[in-house]
Amino acid sequence: MDNRIVAPTLAQLYFQAAERYGELPAFATSKGPLNWHPVSFRELYEQGLDLATGLIRLGVQPGDHIGLFSDNRVEWILADYGIQLSGAVNVPRGSDVTEEELVYIINHSGIKVAFVEDPEFLDRVMLQKERLPNLESVILMDGGESHFTGVEQLGNVRKAGADHRSDGDESAVRRMAETDPKDLFTLIYTSGTTGTPKGVMLTHSNMMSQMEMIPIDLSCTDRVLSILPVWHIFERVFEVYTISCGACTYYSGVRTLAEDLLQVEPTFMGSAPRLWESLHQRILDGVRQAHPVRRFLFRTGYGLAHYYKASLFFMRGNDLRLEPVSRWVRAIMYLMHMLRWVLLLPWYGFFNAAVLEPVRQRTGGALKATVSGGGALPSEIDQFFNDLGIPVLEGYGMTETSPVIAVRTPEKLVVGTVGPLMPKTDIRIVDLESGAILFPSDKSGGGRGKKGEIEVRGPQVMKGYYRQPELTKKTIRDGWLRTGDLGMMTYNDCLKILGRRKATVVLSSGENLEPEPIEMCLKQSPFLENCMIVGQDQKHIGLLALPSLEGFQKAGMSVETLEELIQNPETKKRIRQEVRSRISRQRGFKRHELIRDIRLIPEPFTVGDEMTGLFKLKRHRIEEKYASLIREMYEREG
Amino acid sequence: MEFDTQLLHDIDQLLLGLMILVIMFGMGASLTVDDFRTVARKPRGVLIGFLSQFGLMPLVAWSLSVFLQLPPEFAIALILIGCLPGGSTSNMFSYFARSSVALSIAMTTASTLLALLLMPLLLEFYASTFTREISDAMRAAGSDTNFVIPTGNIVGSLLLVLIPAGAGMVLRVRSRAWAKTAEDTAGFVAIIVILYLIGTAFFRHGSLFLETPWQVYAASICVGLMGFLFGYWFSRLFRLEPIFQRAISLETGIQNGPVAFAIILLSFSEPVQSQMLWIAILYSTFIVMTSSGVTLWYRRIGERDWEIYQNTAIHNRLFGESYISHYPQEFLPQRVAHDPSQGSTPAQNRKSESR
Repeated sequence: MDNRIVAPTLAQLYFQAAERYGELPAFATSKGPLNWHPVSFRELYEQGLDLATGLIRLGVQPGDHIGLFSDNRVEWILADYGIQLSGAVNVPRGSDVTEEELVYIINHSGIKVAFVEDPEFLDRVMLQKERLPNLESVILMDGGESHFTGVEQLGNVRKAGADHRSDGDESAVRRMAETDPKDLFTLIYTSGTTGTPKGVMLTHSNMMSQMEMIPIDLSCTDRVLSILPVWHIFERVFEVYTISCGACTYYSGVRTLAEDLLQVEPTFMGSAPRLWESLHQRILDGVRQAHPVRRFLFRTGYGLAHYYKASLFFMRGNDLRLEPVSRWVRAIMYLMHMLRWVLLLPWYGFFNAAVLEPVRQRTGGALKATVSGGGALPSEIDQFFNDLGIPVLEGYGMTETSPVIAVRTPEKLVVGTVGPLMPKTDIRIVDLESGAILFPSDKSGGGRGKKGEIEVRGPQVMKGYYRQPELTKKTIRDGWLRTGDLGMMTYNDCLKILGRRKATVVLSSGENLEPEPIEMCLKQSPFLENCMIVGQDQKHIGLLALPSLEGFQKAGMSVETLEELIQNPETKKRIRQEVRSRISRQRGFKRHELIRDIRLIPEPFTVGDEMTGLFKLKRHRIEEKYASLIREMYEREG
Repeated sequence: MEFDTQLLHDIDQLLLGLMILVIMFGMGASLTVDDFRTVARKPRGVLIGFLSQFGLMPLVAWSLSVFLQLPPEFAIALILIGCLPGGSTSNMFSYFARSSVALSIAMTTASTLLALLLMPLLLEFYASTFTREISDAMRAAGSDTNFVIPTGNIVGSLLLVLIPAGAGMVLRVRSRAWAKTAEDTAGFVAIIVILYLIGTAFFRHGSLFLETPWQVYAASICVGLMGFLFGYWFSRLFRLEPIFQRAISLETGIQNGPVAFAIILLSFSEPVQSQMLWIAILYSTFIVMTSSGVTLWYRRIGERDWEIYQNTAIHNRLFGESYISHYPQEFLPQRVAHDPSQGSTPAQNRKSESR
């Protein structure tokens, strides 16, 4: 049964959800083990109206940009309700923002009113107050003490609004009617290729297109666990979708996740590869420590499940199909898979019940599906969970496409791909060199199996980058958004992602970083001739470093050749010191930008092979050449 | 039909004995003392389940025997199966059928204990016409003894199989992890042994499959299926909630096969023993298939009310016992909204139940 609400604007969606779902819990936060506090759709909407009225009284105009600087908490959603109901636009960011970015965001987007999570965050904002001439008022969300002037408490703003409403102030309700679907609902700053954040403008209709198209059905009886930062559009879309379906969002955190999974027994969640990596690790550790009988049962069960599922996937047409296969060959393979499936069925049935089900219980045992996004899911982990029977649906998207472009569905669950395209979404695959359109094409196969840059067109594509028309024009041409990602269409019409054209490194936690500024900073060291940041889809970044023979000689080391230099244990120690002092939190780098591991490379980069004529690194080539070094770097953590 | 040789050789019988030991141990390992308390706390569901299990099931077996005009040895075996207590297999199927596992476990516990008293009585009651038939046949063949149901031996064998079950319960108290392993091992062993028995029957008595009259097949398949059907409607008649209906249905149809083997091996002798064993083997084989099918069916039809039940239970668990979930009226499916068993406030007076 499909009962999602689709409305022209977010404010109207919030209103309709309150009408339809009333007293059902919309959000719940944990106050301790087995002690959660629910907020109903009705309460949230009423409180949102109070807050909106309070904001309007503070002078907030329709379309104003309101800062929302906070990590996940129920007040975040309340603030969003208030902002949407007052017709304004929010500019969200979490506590991992650096001071420089914060100042840039507030000034660039022209924020006059900002919500700030707690006194600690407030201090960070207030210390920069002199550089923020336009910031007029700050609203503290958690009710903590503040010794600054001009700081309001969220509770007080809401209460003032409530008083006005009881006196007959209906301005918030009027604002709701005035908002147009083409208006912005949020302005999300992402760190882009240039290093300075870019403000992605998303409209109500962008958001609603996602509400309409998400191919997973939820209802009032679903429980959604939230662990990803809500200011990321990926998590936010799922939270709004949860509201739209009348399900309840339960806020969890990294530390309490394992316990919350068992308490809440979620039926759905947005997740990042990192979560599955750590769960995978925990399950394997558990198996390793189990006594031999259990280990044997698990291994047998998992092995059976692997082949059973492979046959099942094949029979459903959900195998990974990168090359064209004739109908006859497929028919024969089909029969063989059917035979294998039948033979394995009784055994799988037993092991599934006795061995695999208890493992699935670790995620609460009720998960119907989970969408993994924000980075590529390592293939063996993807395979592992889908074999186990935890349907991990990998999706693909970006903030600029609010965010989902393609996602696997329970029916079309092709491991190794990001699934079919969302409805109403078109893509084309463009050749990197010639710019020719490879997919779709009239040739046989329709251009499937051809690798190139993905360009996307659809109702989810952003309006543009805020106050950056040039950049917008470069990114969106004739309605087609250039994603910067490389991919291909498989022969069963699923999208497979093959890497990034741009240098951006996306860690498995979903955090993005630009390697170039870090490399630039490192190359200023006399000891480093050249270097490259690696770590795509890994937990943290690593460095391939080419030590400078000259630099070390000048520093008094008696070495003649590069080989000798690399053999010398002093070299690595020295470079490590250098890296540590240059790339540090004190120097304004974020935690995920810190370099954990270093490998020395034995020969200089040459123009034409590893570098372009302009001395820019050809990252794909270098990654290919030093693949074993990179693997070694990440293998140890296993 | 006659068996010219024993169906099972001594070595097979030994293997079967070991299997019974392992399975009953595994079954015990899945039970806790708390489960006995659950029985005391939720007497209504268990009582209805009990009526279904010991009232309906033997009647079903007897009616099938009469209706299909089974030879007396087979009829006695079928009635014996009808009178058995539930086993731990049904608990697993209950779990996957989205029904109340707690009720299933409670019923298994209660029926195993009550079987000591009720099984001999029921067997005596339903099987008497068939024992007389055998006695007549034996007298006609020149024997001067009467065939009687060995009541004492049956109670003895039941007590005997309860010993490993008790040991399993002790293990459960000592170590949960080992108990879980014992439970899984038992399930695994059961599958292996059933396949082995079918295999040996096939290779040693290949013609047996063809010689067996269709009525015997029909009876060994239908006794389980009709148990599911009657258990479901019987509990529905008493306006139990859907999750309890499904649990009682499965518990009624799925009997403790290993106990049947133990009783047949320990209490009956040739010429009836082989025939009775054959029925037990057939029943054990078919019940795995039919209950898998029924479980998948229940899983599908029960999805909605299970989700409502579970979500409400979790609301109560996290937000407090007094929390009431107000689902929109149009959201509740007809069956749940208008099911009289739901009470006036659908799904809201349900309480959290540990799984």
